[in-house]
Amino acid sequence: MKTRKMKTRNMKTRNMKTRNMNSHICRSIALLIAVSVAGVWSSLASTEVVAEDGWGTLKGRVVVSGDLPLPTVEPIDGHPDQSICVVNGEIPNDDNIVIGDNGGLRDVYVMMYVKGKGAKAPIHPSYAGGVAVQQVSIDNVNCRFVPHAVFVKTGRSILLKNSDSVGHNCHITTFNNEHNVNLPSGAEVKVTLDKADKVPGQVKCDIHKWMDGVVLVRDNPYVAITDGLGNFEIKNIPAGHWEFQFWHKSAGYMRALESGSYKFGRRGQTAVTIVDGGKLDLGRLGFPTKFLK
Amino acid sequence: MKHVFPKLVFSTVMVLLVGCGRSPEVAYKLNSVELLKQEKLFLDNGDHFDDSYKREIGSILTAVFGTPNDPLLPVLLKDDDPVLRVINSQHVARSAGPVNRDYTQVRNGLYRQHCAHCHGITGDGHGPTAPFLNPYPRDFRMAKFKYKATPLRSVPTDHDLTDVLINGVPGTAMPSFRTMDGDQIAALVDYVKFLTMRGQYERFLMAELSNLDQGEPLIDLALAKQYRVMLEVREPTQQQQQQLGQLEEKHLDTMWSVVGARLIEDVIARWVDADKNRTAVPSAPNAYSRDDRDHQDFLEKGRRLFYEKGNCAQCHGDTGVGNGQLENFDDWTNDWIKTPGVNPFYPNSYREFTDAGALAPRPIKPRNLTEAVYRGGGQPEEIYLRIANGIEGTPMPAAPALSSDEIWALVAYVKALPYSRTYHWPAKGVNANQIAR
Repeated sequence: MKTRKMKTRNMKTRNMKTRNMNSHICRSIALLIAVSVAGVWSSLASTEVVAEDGWGTLKGRVVVSGDLPLPTVEPIDGHPDQSICVVNGEIPNDDNIVIGDNGGLRDVYVMMYVKGKGAKAPIHPSYAGGVAVQQVSIDNVNCRFVPHAVFVKTGRSILLKNSDSVGHNCHITTFNNEHNVNLPSGAEVKVTLDKADKVPGQVKCDIHKWMDGVVLVRDNPYVAITDGLGNFEIKNIPAGHWEFQFWHKSAGYMRALESGSYKFGRRGQTAVTIVDGGKLDLGRLGFPTKFLK
Repeated sequence: MKHVFPKLVFSTVMVLLVGCGRSPEVAYKLNSVELLKQEKLFLDNGDHFDDSYKREIGSILTAVFGTPNDPLLPVLLKDDDPVLRVINSQHVARSAGPVNRDYTQVRNGLYRQHCAHCHGITGDGHGPTAPFLNPYPRDFRMAKFKYKATPLRSVPTDHDLTDVLINGVPGTAMPSFRTMDGDQIAALVDYVKFLTMRGQYERFLMAELSNLDQGEPLIDLALAKQYRVMLEVREPTQQQQQQLGQLEEKHLDTMWSVVGARLIEDVIARWVDADKNRTAVPSAPNAYSRDDRDHQDFLEKGRRLFYEKGNCAQCHGDTGVGNGQLENFDDWTNDWIKTPGVNPFYPNSYREFTDAGALAPRPIKPRNLTEAVYRGGGQPEEIYLRIANGIEGTPMPAAPALSSDEIWALVAYVKALPYSRTYHWPAKGVNANQIAR
């Protein structure tokens, strides 16, 4: 009965061309693919874990090893807005690779990696909707984005500000989201990013080419960005086995991370076990500087 | 009379030499540039995805969208499929196939006749003439359109696409097709949407590859085979019928939600009710009219905005001739030149991409506003939309920080620029903000 129904429905697709026997084959392939993708899907969807065992914390530090790359200055020299873009009279260094005094690497994204788009991790109440959250913002100061890297949860807004006396535009492009707003001096504009992305996207100012920040949009709130010393901490992760991914703009997925006890896969992911009330410290994660492009 | 025989011999020989066989099957091209980009981004240096993925993506696309000669709407088992609300299947059939007339003298193969030589059979903006055009023809697969009444990441309305076909794009190679009748234009508009959906779906599929383990298929073939075997039994026994039913039972419910929700639905849903996303253009204030006594003040307001709050001069140049920023690229190019190792100013760094089918990158120039040539149309409302929404795929930003009155003042100033002799030639290195003062 159901078969019959399905076939007639499919005939509809064929209305556009009253043609040959090809149609039968095509139809079966279409079905076949639909069915098989469905198969993969249902097996993925069932991997959702329910946190019955409480919540724990993950922390660690990403440090670089090997020769430190020579800092390069931003190409500000000669730009009409040079007087505004210099900091204390000096042209600042490129802020894509920022290494702290202790070797810590700034702006590494540590993201929970849940395979398959339907699979979800339980959300701790502190991340849930309705709870007051700090407004994520990107300011323009001396022709650079402050902060350089941000994370925003799907559906929440980013406040774009311009504290410079010169105009900017803020051009956010990720795989699934895009905004390009003009920011006159002193302006404040809120934009909302609606769709989750797999990897971070870029924030650019088209007027000042060297301005290039990073933005990640995710529904899954278990994301941290390393601070100036390379430290990260994610609180209230559901207890259980999880994978976390490491990503940096200049390295992509950080599969070259080195650690005594953790192995990193092709997508910069490593498996961890979170226990209730526990504080898992991944310790010092070394990253050879030769992989920073 | 005596010349007939040699001619006959000649033509026979030619036929024998060249053959009167059919030309190769017209096919959609794989998006090799996107594939290469994914490899560069997510695999170790020099690694490639397994070739089986190319075949797999090809067969998925053929199954869902058909071939140029035999296109299919991506309808997956639902009568009220959203795609049926967006695209007329007869329009697609009429545009896609080979060029001919049917017995009622209706012309078919419109896309191949009028569009494919620039935009390519696949809609990849890489037809045979594409490398010689500046700007390059539009690549539909990014699902981005410049001249429309809707904001960024919203698809254009049918009206927007029709406008482009009827008026062409002044200042580019895109001509006006106003000699075609309305049916033909409507058919082409639907086919552009079709190619856009197909191209975007292909990119979505390719983006999934980096999430798979080496050798892991995009789809579960074992299950698919089992299903196909069952489907091909002509007269199933009761037992087989039952088995088939169970297979369906297991997957039918999830089928649409899965294939759809994950990728195709995303691709199609954005076209449904595109009209709802239209940006309203408020009517112009009285001062916009040249006869109004406040018009000069209004123009002056526009001029100040051009240099100050509007940030226009920073790209369009201090005199509006479009010489402010000359090293930006559009999104169709940015999409792959942001790959590590690629420098758009050094051809050797991107040879692999051009070999894969990318067109050599060219910087996008801010429009010269003194020429009175407006690609998206020169009506005041059209220029208002360009300023208010920005231009998708380009550095031109939207202007949420400007009031509608301010935007209208800018429109008035921009429209007056080509006819103004009061250019301000500032000294070199003078900041835009200083000029206005």
